[in-house]
Amino acid sequence: MRNKLIVLFVLAVGLMLSIPLSAHHGAAAIYGSQTLTLKGTVKAWLWSNPHCLLTVDVKGEDGKVVEWVAETQAPSTVYPMGFRKDSFKPGDQVTVIVQHAKNERPNGRLLSAVLADGTKIGNAPGEGGRGGRGGDEAY
Amino acid sequence: MLNRFLSVMAGLLAAALLFSSSSFAQNGSKGWPDPKENRQPIAEKDKKPAPRHSIAGLWANTREGNQAKGAQLHPNDGKPENQPPYTPYGLQLYKSHKALEGFDAVGPAYNNDPRVKCEPLGLPRYNHYDLGIRVYQGENSVAILYQYDNRWRIIWTDERPLPKLLDGGVEINGDYHEQRWMGYSVGQWIDDTTLEVQTVGTMPEDRVWLDNTGRPISDQVHITETFRRMDNDTMEWSEVLDDPKIFTKPWQTMKITMRLQDPRVDILTRYCSPKEIETYNKAYGDSVSAK
Repeated sequence: MRNKLIVLFVLAVGLMLSIPLSAHHGAAAIYGSQTLTLKGTVKAWLWSNPHCLLTVDVKGEDGKVVEWVAETQAPSTVYPMGFRKDSFKPGDQVTVIVQHAKNERPNGRLLSAVLADGTKIGNAPGEGGRGGRGGDEAY
Repeated sequence: MLNRFLSVMAGLLAAALLFSSSSFAQNGSKGWPDPKENRQPIAEKDKKPAPRHSIAGLWANTREGNQAKGAQLHPNDGKPENQPPYTPYGLQLYKSHKALEGFDAVGPAYNNDPRVKCEPLGLPRYNHYDLGIRVYQGENSVAILYQYDNRWRIIWTDERPLPKLLDGGVEINGDYHEQRWMGYSVGQWIDDTTLEVQTVGTMPEDRVWLDNTGRPISDQVHITETFRRMDNDTMEWSEVLDDPKIFTKPWQTMKITMRLQDPRVDILTRYCSPKEIETYNKAYGDSVSAK
Protein backbone atom coordinates (compact mmCIF):
# COMPACT_ATOMS: atom_id res chain seq x y z
CA MET A 1 0.00 0.00 0.00
CA ARG A 2 1.25 3.46 -0.81
CA ASN A 3 -0.03 6.76 0.43
CA LYS A 4 -3.67 6.64 1.42
CA LEU A 5 -4.66 5.51 -1.93
CA ILE A 6 -5.96 2.53 -3.72
CA VAL A 7 -3.90 -0.59 -3.61
CA LEU A 8 -4.85 -3.05 -6.23
CA PHE A 9 -4.16 -6.72 -6.07
CA VAL A 10 -5.56 -9.63 -7.90
CA LEU A 11 -6.52 -12.76 -6.07
CA ALA A 12 -7.23 -16.14 -7.46
CA VAL A 13 -10.78 -16.71 -8.53
CA GLY A 14 -10.85 -19.66 -6.22
CA LEU A 15 -10.56 -17.37 -3.25
CA MET A 16 -13.57 -15.45 -4.38
CA LEU A 17 -15.62 -18.58 -4.44
CA SER A 18 -15.41 -18.82 -0.69
CA ILE A 19 -17.53 -15.70 -0.42
CA PRO A 20 -21.28 -16.14 -0.72
CA LEU A 21 -22.29 -14.84 -4.10
CA SER A 22 -24.68 -11.99 -4.19
CA ALA A 23 -27.61 -11.28 -4.73
CA HIS A 24 -30.66 -10.35 -6.68
CA HIS A 25 -28.31 -10.12 -9.62
CA GLY A 26 -25.76 -12.66 -10.75
CA ALA A 27 -22.31 -11.78 -9.43
CA ALA A 28 -20.63 -13.16 -12.54
CA ALA A 29 -22.47 -10.69 -14.74
CA ILE A 30 -21.27 -7.68 -12.77
CA TYR A 31 -18.09 -8.43 -10.85
CA GLY A 32 -14.74 -9.66 -11.99
CA SER A 33 -12.17 -11.44 -9.86
CA GLN A 34 -10.25 -8.28 -8.93
CA THR A 35 -10.38 -7.06 -5.38
CA LEU A 36 -9.38 -3.57 -4.35
CA THR A 37 -8.37 -2.17 -1.01
CA LEU A 38 -9.68 1.35 -0.62
CA LYS A 39 -8.86 3.87 2.07
CA GLY A 40 -11.06 6.85 2.39
CA THR A 41 -13.68 8.90 4.17
CA VAL A 42 -17.20 7.66 4.66
CA LYS A 43 -19.78 9.80 2.94
CA ALA A 44 -22.90 7.72 3.55
CA TRP A 45 -24.04 4.33 4.79
CA LEU A 46 -27.45 3.14 3.66
CA TRP A 47 -28.73 0.30 5.84
CA SER A 48 -31.46 -1.00 3.60
CA ASN A 49 -32.92 -3.80 1.56
CA PRO A 50 -32.29 -5.26 -0.88
CA HIS A 51 -28.65 -4.27 -0.24
CA CYS A 52 -26.76 -1.95 2.05
CA LEU A 53 -24.71 0.70 0.28
CA LEU A 54 -21.51 2.34 1.52
CA THR A 55 -20.31 5.52 -0.13
CA VAL A 56 -16.66 6.42 0.44
CA ASP A 57 -14.60 9.34 -0.88
CA VAL A 58 -11.22 8.02 -1.95
CA LYS A 59 -8.39 10.36 -2.89
CA GLY A 60 -6.34 9.18 -5.84
CA GLU A 61 -2.62 9.63 -6.47
CA ASP A 62 -3.45 12.61 -8.63
CA GLY A 63 -5.15 14.24 -5.68
CA LYS A 64 -8.61 13.87 -7.14
CA VAL A 65 -11.33 12.51 -4.91
CA VAL A 66 -13.39 9.69 -6.38
CA GLU A 67 -16.70 8.68 -4.87
CA TRP A 68 -16.93 4.88 -4.55
CA VAL A 69 -20.18 3.07 -3.83
CA ALA A 70 -20.06 -0.52 -2.61
CA GLU A 71 -22.89 -2.91 -1.86
CA THR A 72 -23.32 -5.61 0.71
CA GLN A 73 -26.12 -8.09 0.97
CA ALA A 74 -29.26 -7.31 2.96
CA PRO A 75 -29.05 -6.22 6.62
CA SER A 76 -30.31 -9.54 7.92
CA THR A 77 -27.56 -11.33 6.00
CA VAL A 78 -24.62 -9.11 6.90
CA TYR A 79 -25.58 -8.54 10.54
CA PRO A 80 -23.99 -11.85 11.63
CA MET A 81 -20.81 -10.75 9.82
CA GLY A 82 -20.53 -7.76 12.11
CA PHE A 83 -22.22 -5.06 10.06
CA ARG A 84 -24.57 -2.76 11.95
CA LYS A 85 -26.81 0.16 11.15
CA ASP A 86 -24.26 2.46 12.79
CA SER A 87 -21.10 0.75 11.56
CA PHE A 88 -20.18 3.76 9.43
CA LYS A 89 -20.74 7.44 10.03
CA PRO A 90 -20.00 10.33 7.67
CA GLY A 91 -16.44 11.46 8.21
CA ASP A 92 -15.14 8.10 9.46
CA GLN A 93 -11.81 6.96 8.06
CA VAL A 94 -12.16 3.41 6.80
CA THR A 95 -10.35 0.77 4.83
CA VAL A 96 -12.55 -1.49 2.77
CA ILE A 97 -11.97 -4.45 0.50
CA VAL A 98 -14.28 -4.62 -2.48
CA GLN A 99 -14.72 -6.86 -5.48
CA HIS A 100 -14.47 -4.44 -8.36
CA ALA A 101 -17.21 -4.00 -10.94
CA LYS A 102 -16.41 -5.41 -14.36
CA ASN A 103 -17.17 -2.10 -16.02
CA GLU A 104 -14.41 -0.54 -13.88
CA ARG A 105 -16.64 2.15 -12.52
CA PRO A 106 -16.07 3.05 -8.87
CA ASN A 107 -18.42 0.35 -7.67
CA GLY A 108 -17.86 -2.95 -5.97
CA ARG A 109 -19.11 -5.61 -3.67
CA LEU A 110 -18.09 -4.82 -0.13
CA LEU A 111 -16.32 -7.83 1.33
CA SER A 112 -14.84 -6.46 4.53
CA ALA A 113 -13.99 -3.24 6.29
CA VAL A 114 -11.68 -1.96 8.98
CA LEU A 115 -13.50 0.73 10.93
CA ALA A 116 -12.06 3.91 12.40
CA ASP A 117 -11.48 2.20 15.76
CA GLY A 118 -9.70 -0.75 14.17
CA THR A 119 -12.64 -3.12 14.33
CA LYS A 120 -12.79 -5.47 11.40
CA ILE A 121 -16.13 -6.58 9.98
CA GLY A 122 -17.12 -8.78 7.08
CA ASN A 123 -15.14 -11.48 5.36
CA ALA A 124 -12.00 -10.79 3.40
CA PRO A 125 -11.22 -13.10 0.48
CA GLY A 126 -10.02 -16.47 1.65
CA GLU A 127 -11.42 -16.12 5.14
CA GLY A 128 -14.59 -17.98 4.36
CA GLY A 129 -18.08 -17.08 5.39
CA ARG A 130 -19.26 -16.49 8.91
CA GLY A 131 -22.89 -16.47 9.80
CA GLY A 132 -25.57 -15.15 7.56
CA ARG A 133 -27.64 -17.12 5.19
CA GLY A 134 -25.20 -17.16 2.33
CA GLY A 135 -26.60 -17.90 -1.03
CA ASP A 136 -28.69 -15.31 -2.69
CA GLU A 137 -30.79 -12.45 -1.63
CA ALA A 138 -34.27 -11.51 -2.57
CA TYR A 139 -34.44 -8.34 -4.61
CA MET B 1 -65.69 -13.36 0.92
CA LEU B 2 -63.38 -11.88 3.54
CA ASN B 3 -65.19 -13.75 6.29
CA ARG B 4 -64.85 -16.97 4.36
CA PHE B 5 -61.15 -16.40 3.87
CA LEU B 6 -60.63 -15.58 7.54
CA SER B 7 -62.58 -18.65 8.56
CA VAL B 8 -60.47 -20.88 6.36
CA MET B 9 -57.23 -19.41 7.68
CA ALA B 10 -58.37 -19.56 11.30
CA GLY B 11 -59.38 -23.18 10.81
CA LEU B 12 -56.04 -24.06 9.30
CA LEU B 13 -54.16 -22.34 12.09
CA ALA B 14 -56.23 -24.05 14.78
CA ALA B 15 -55.76 -27.42 13.12
CA ALA B 16 -52.04 -26.89 12.86
CA LEU B 17 -51.76 -26.04 16.51
CA LEU B 18 -54.02 -28.91 17.51
CA PHE B 19 -52.20 -31.52 15.48
CA SER B 20 -48.70 -30.28 15.99
CA SER B 21 -46.53 -33.32 16.59
CA SER B 22 -43.19 -31.62 16.55
CA SER B 23 -40.38 -32.79 18.74
CA PHE B 24 -39.63 -29.12 19.45
CA ALA B 25 -43.03 -28.18 20.79
CA GLN B 26 -42.55 -28.72 24.51
CA ASN B 27 -38.98 -27.73 25.19
CA GLY B 28 -39.84 -25.31 27.95
CA SER B 29 -38.24 -22.26 26.38
CA LYS B 30 -40.18 -19.02 26.61
CA GLY B 31 -37.81 -16.85 24.64
CA TRP B 32 -37.49 -16.16 20.96
CA PRO B 33 -35.75 -19.16 19.43
CA ASP B 34 -32.65 -18.53 17.40
CA PRO B 35 -33.79 -18.53 13.77
CA LYS B 36 -31.19 -21.06 12.76
CA GLU B 37 -31.86 -22.68 9.47
CA ASN B 38 -30.32 -25.78 8.06
CA ARG B 39 -30.25 -27.99 11.14
CA GLN B 40 -27.76 -30.75 10.99
CA PRO B 41 -29.03 -34.08 9.70
CA ILE B 42 -30.55 -36.28 12.38
CA ALA B 43 -28.34 -39.19 13.41
CA GLU B 44 -29.69 -42.53 12.30
CA LYS B 45 -30.29 -43.65 15.88
CA ASP B 46 -32.30 -40.52 16.65
CA LYS B 47 -34.57 -40.67 13.64
CA LYS B 48 -38.28 -40.92 14.25
CA PRO B 49 -40.72 -42.34 11.73
CA ALA B 50 -42.73 -40.00 9.59
CA PRO B 51 -46.21 -39.31 10.93
CA ARG B 52 -49.07 -40.58 8.79
CA HIS B 53 -50.58 -38.11 6.35
CA SER B 54 -48.84 -35.03 7.69
CA ILE B 55 -46.41 -32.55 6.23
CA ALA B 56 -47.22 -29.83 8.77
CA GLY B 57 -44.33 -27.83 10.16
CA LEU B 58 -41.67 -25.28 9.42
CA TRP B 59 -39.37 -26.59 6.71
CA ALA B 60 -36.04 -25.29 5.48
CA ASN B 61 -34.15 -26.16 2.40
CA THR B 62 -31.01 -27.90 3.57
CA ARG B 63 -28.51 -27.47 0.82
CA GLU B 64 -29.58 -26.07 -2.49
CA GLY B 65 -29.88 -22.41 -1.55
CA ASN B 66 -32.60 -20.62 -3.38
CA GLN B 67 -31.95 -22.05 -6.83
CA ALA B 68 -30.54 -18.73 -7.97
CA LYS B 69 -28.95 -20.41 -10.97
CA GLY B 70 -32.22 -21.86 -12.11
CA ALA B 71 -34.37 -24.86 -11.36
CA GLN B 72 -32.41 -27.05 -8.97
CA LEU B 73 -32.03 -30.20 -11.07
CA HIS B 74 -31.11 -28.26 -14.19
CA PRO B 75 -29.17 -25.08 -13.39
CA ASN B 76 -29.01 -22.66 -16.29
CA ASP B 77 -25.27 -23.04 -16.86
CA GLY B 78 -25.20 -23.26 -20.64
CA LYS B 79 -24.62 -27.01 -20.67
CA PRO B 80 -26.80 -28.80 -23.23
CA GLU B 81 -27.86 -31.46 -20.73
CA ASN B 82 -29.43 -28.76 -18.56
CA GLN B 83 -31.32 -27.07 -21.37
CA PRO B 84 -35.08 -27.63 -20.94
CA PRO B 85 -36.82 -29.29 -23.92
CA TYR B 86 -38.11 -26.03 -25.37
CA THR B 87 -40.66 -25.78 -28.13
CA PRO B 88 -39.73 -23.14 -30.74
CA TYR B 89 -42.09 -20.74 -28.99
CA GLY B 90 -40.60 -21.59 -25.60
CA LEU B 91 -37.09 -20.91 -26.87
CA GLN B 92 -38.19 -17.65 -28.44
CA LEU B 93 -39.69 -16.58 -25.13
CA TYR B 94 -36.57 -17.57 -23.23
CA LYS B 95 -34.42 -15.45 -25.52
CA SER B 96 -36.66 -12.45 -24.92
CA HIS B 97 -36.14 -12.67 -21.16
CA LYS B 98 -33.26 -10.69 -19.68
CA ALA B 99 -32.48 -12.35 -16.39
CA LEU B 100 -30.28 -11.37 -13.46
CA GLU B 101 -29.07 -14.91 -12.96
CA GLY B 102 -27.83 -17.74 -15.14
CA PHE B 103 -24.97 -18.07 -17.60
CA ASP B 104 -26.34 -15.32 -19.85
CA ALA B 105 -27.37 -12.95 -17.06
CA VAL B 106 -27.48 -9.19 -17.57
CA GLY B 107 -26.79 -6.34 -15.16
CA PRO B 108 -29.53 -4.81 -13.01
CA ALA B 109 -30.18 -1.98 -15.45
CA TYR B 110 -30.99 -4.29 -18.34
CA ASN B 111 -33.19 -6.96 -16.85
CA ASN B 112 -36.89 -7.47 -17.52
CA ASP B 113 -37.61 -9.86 -14.68
CA PRO B 114 -41.16 -9.26 -13.40
CA ARG B 115 -39.86 -9.93 -9.87
CA VAL B 116 -37.87 -6.72 -9.99
CA LYS B 117 -41.12 -4.81 -10.39
CA CYS B 118 -42.36 -6.65 -7.30
CA GLU B 119 -44.83 -8.66 -9.32
CA PRO B 120 -45.88 -11.89 -7.58
CA LEU B 121 -43.68 -14.77 -8.68
CA GLY B 122 -46.61 -17.12 -9.20
CA LEU B 123 -46.50 -20.87 -9.18
CA PRO B 124 -44.23 -22.70 -9.88
CA ARG B 125 -41.64 -19.94 -9.43
CA TYR B 126 -42.32 -19.65 -5.70
CA ASN B 127 -41.04 -23.22 -5.52
CA HIS B 128 -37.79 -22.01 -7.03
CA TYR B 129 -37.14 -18.96 -4.92
CA ASP B 130 -35.93 -18.48 -1.37
CA LEU B 131 -37.31 -21.76 -0.16
CA GLY B 132 -38.43 -21.79 3.39
CA ILE B 133 -42.02 -22.79 3.97
CA ARG B 134 -44.41 -23.15 6.83
CA VAL B 135 -47.08 -25.78 6.28
CA TYR B 136 -50.39 -25.78 8.11
CA GLN B 137 -52.62 -28.74 7.63
CA GLY B 138 -56.32 -29.14 8.31
CA GLU B 139 -58.96 -31.73 7.61
CA ASN B 140 -59.69 -30.54 4.08
CA SER B 141 -56.63 -28.69 3.00
CA VAL B 142 -52.96 -27.96 3.33
CA ALA B 143 -51.73 -24.37 3.41
CA ILE B 144 -48.20 -23.51 2.36
CA LEU B 145 -46.80 -20.18 3.51
CA TYR B 146 -43.82 -19.09 1.45
CA GLN B 147 -41.04 -17.07 3.03
CA TYR B 148 -40.53 -14.73 0.10
CA ASP B 149 -43.00 -11.87 0.03
CA ASN B 150 -45.18 -13.73 2.57
CA ARG B 151 -47.28 -15.46 -0.05
CA TRP B 152 -49.48 -18.48 0.57
CA ARG B 153 -51.36 -21.16 -1.32
CA ILE B 154 -54.02 -23.72 -0.52
CA ILE B 155 -53.93 -27.36 -1.60
CA TRP B 156 -57.31 -29.02 -1.29
CA THR B 157 -57.10 -32.59 0.02
CA ASP B 158 -60.83 -33.37 0.25
CA GLU B 159 -60.93 -35.42 -2.95
CA ARG B 160 -62.31 -32.64 -5.11
CA PRO B 161 -61.27 -33.07 -8.74
CA LEU B 162 -58.62 -31.02 -10.48
CA PRO B 163 -60.33 -28.24 -12.48
CA LYS B 164 -60.42 -28.61 -16.24
CA LEU B 165 -57.79 -26.40 -17.82
CA LEU B 166 -59.14 -23.90 -20.36
CA ASP B 167 -57.45 -21.24 -22.44
CA GLY B 168 -57.06 -18.40 -19.94
CA GLY B 169 -58.68 -20.05 -16.96
CA VAL B 170 -60.25 -23.23 -15.63
CA GLU B 171 -63.66 -24.85 -15.57
CA ILE B 172 -65.16 -25.83 -12.23
CA ASN B 173 -68.65 -27.34 -12.06
CA GLY B 174 -69.31 -26.07 -15.57
CA ASP B 175 -68.37 -22.48 -14.73
CA TYR B 176 -65.39 -20.47 -15.88
CA HIS B 177 -62.90 -19.38 -13.19
CA GLU B 178 -60.09 -16.98 -13.92
CA GLN B 179 -56.45 -18.00 -13.83
CA ARG B 180 -54.53 -16.96 -10.74
CA TRP B 181 -51.00 -16.62 -9.39
CA MET B 182 -51.03 -19.87 -7.40
CA GLY B 183 -53.38 -21.72 -9.72
CA TYR B 184 -55.78 -24.36 -8.42
CA SER B 185 -54.22 -27.20 -6.44
CA VAL B 186 -55.61 -30.53 -5.30
CA GLY B 187 -53.70 -33.11 -3.32
CA GLN B 188 -54.03 -36.79 -2.70
CA TRP B 189 -52.20 -39.07 -0.27
CA ILE B 190 -50.79 -41.82 -2.45
CA ASP B 191 -49.41 -43.65 0.57
CA ASP B 192 -49.05 -42.95 4.29
CA THR B 193 -46.31 -40.40 3.86
CA THR B 194 -46.54 -39.03 0.31
CA LEU B 195 -48.82 -36.24 -0.79
CA GLU B 196 -49.12 -35.79 -4.54
CA VAL B 197 -50.33 -32.39 -5.65
CA GLN B 198 -51.66 -31.38 -9.06
CA THR B 199 -51.97 -27.74 -10.08
CA VAL B 200 -53.43 -26.00 -13.14
CA GLY B 201 -54.85 -22.57 -13.89
CA THR B 202 -51.72 -20.49 -13.30
CA MET B 203 -50.79 -17.16 -14.87
CA PRO B 204 -49.77 -16.70 -18.52
CA GLU B 205 -46.25 -16.43 -19.85
CA ASP B 206 -46.27 -12.65 -20.14
CA ARG B 207 -46.74 -12.38 -16.36
CA VAL B 208 -44.52 -15.04 -14.82
CA TRP B 209 -41.21 -16.83 -15.27
CA LEU B 210 -40.28 -20.34 -14.23
CA ASP B 211 -37.09 -19.37 -12.44
CA ASN B 212 -34.53 -16.64 -11.80
CA THR B 213 -32.72 -17.30 -15.05
CA GLY B 214 -35.60 -16.26 -17.29
CA ARG B 215 -36.87 -19.66 -18.28
CA PRO B 216 -40.47 -19.31 -19.41
CA ILE B 217 -43.62 -21.05 -18.23
CA SER B 218 -47.16 -20.71 -19.56
CA ASP B 219 -50.69 -20.91 -18.23
CA GLN B 220 -51.05 -24.30 -19.94
CA VAL B 221 -48.69 -25.93 -17.46
CA HIS B 222 -49.79 -28.90 -15.40
CA ILE B 223 -47.64 -29.06 -12.29
CA THR B 224 -47.18 -32.27 -10.34
CA GLU B 225 -45.52 -32.03 -6.95
CA THR B 226 -44.81 -34.76 -4.45
CA PHE B 227 -44.15 -34.10 -0.78
CA ARG B 228 -42.62 -37.27 0.61
CA ARG B 229 -42.04 -37.34 4.35
CA MET B 230 -39.02 -39.59 4.62
CA ASP B 231 -38.89 -39.51 8.41
CA ASN B 232 -40.18 -37.12 11.05
CA ASP B 233 -37.53 -34.49 10.30
CA THR B 234 -36.96 -34.91 6.59
CA MET B 235 -39.15 -34.29 3.57
CA GLU B 236 -38.41 -34.60 -0.13
CA TRP B 237 -40.20 -32.14 -2.40
CA SER B 238 -40.20 -32.78 -6.12
CA GLU B 239 -41.78 -31.06 -9.08
CA VAL B 240 -42.54 -32.09 -12.67
CA LEU B 241 -43.78 -29.65 -15.30
CA ASP B 242 -45.91 -30.59 -18.27
CA ASP B 243 -46.36 -27.48 -20.39
CA PRO B 244 -46.90 -28.35 -24.07
CA LYS B 245 -46.87 -24.69 -25.03
CA ILE B 246 -43.31 -24.19 -23.75
CA PHE B 247 -41.76 -27.66 -23.53
CA THR B 248 -41.89 -30.62 -25.90
CA LYS B 249 -42.17 -33.10 -23.03
CA PRO B 250 -42.61 -33.15 -19.24
CA TRP B 251 -39.44 -32.62 -17.22
CA GLN B 252 -38.47 -32.71 -13.58
CA THR B 253 -37.26 -29.40 -12.21
CA MET B 254 -36.44 -30.17 -8.60
CA LYS B 255 -36.10 -32.82 -5.95
CA ILE B 256 -35.20 -30.99 -2.79
CA THR B 257 -34.63 -32.26 0.70
CA MET B 258 -36.28 -30.13 3.35
CA ARG B 259 -35.51 -30.37 7.04
CA LEU B 260 -37.99 -29.78 9.83
CA GLN B 261 -37.25 -26.73 11.96
CA ASP B 262 -38.31 -25.59 15.41
CA PRO B 263 -41.92 -24.47 14.76
CA ARG B 264 -41.58 -21.61 17.23
CA VAL B 265 -38.94 -19.95 15.10
CA ASP B 266 -39.97 -16.60 13.70
CA ILE B 267 -38.37 -17.01 10.30
CA LEU B 268 -36.89 -14.30 8.20
CA THR B 269 -39.47 -12.91 5.82
CA ARG B 270 -38.88 -10.81 2.79
CA TYR B 271 -41.03 -8.23 1.11
CA CYS B 272 -40.43 -6.70 -2.24
CA SER B 273 -40.55 -2.92 -1.97
CA PRO B 274 -40.67 -0.90 -5.21
CA LYS B 275 -39.29 2.10 -3.33
CA GLU B 276 -36.29 0.17 -2.03
CA ILE B 277 -35.54 -1.20 -5.46
CA GLU B 278 -35.80 2.23 -7.04
CA THR B 279 -33.43 3.65 -4.45
CA TYR B 280 -30.98 0.81 -4.97
CA ASN B 281 -30.98 1.14 -8.75
CA LYS B 282 -30.56 4.90 -8.63
CA ALA B 283 -27.69 4.71 -6.15
CA TYR B 284 -25.98 1.62 -7.47
CA GLY B 285 -27.67 -0.81 -9.84
CA ASP B 286 -27.71 1.47 -12.87
CA SER B 287 -24.05 2.40 -12.44
CA VAL B 288 -22.68 -1.06 -11.77
CA SER B 289 -24.36 -2.50 -14.83
CA ALA B 290 -23.52 0.32 -17.22
CA LYS B 291 -21.48 -0.71 -20.24
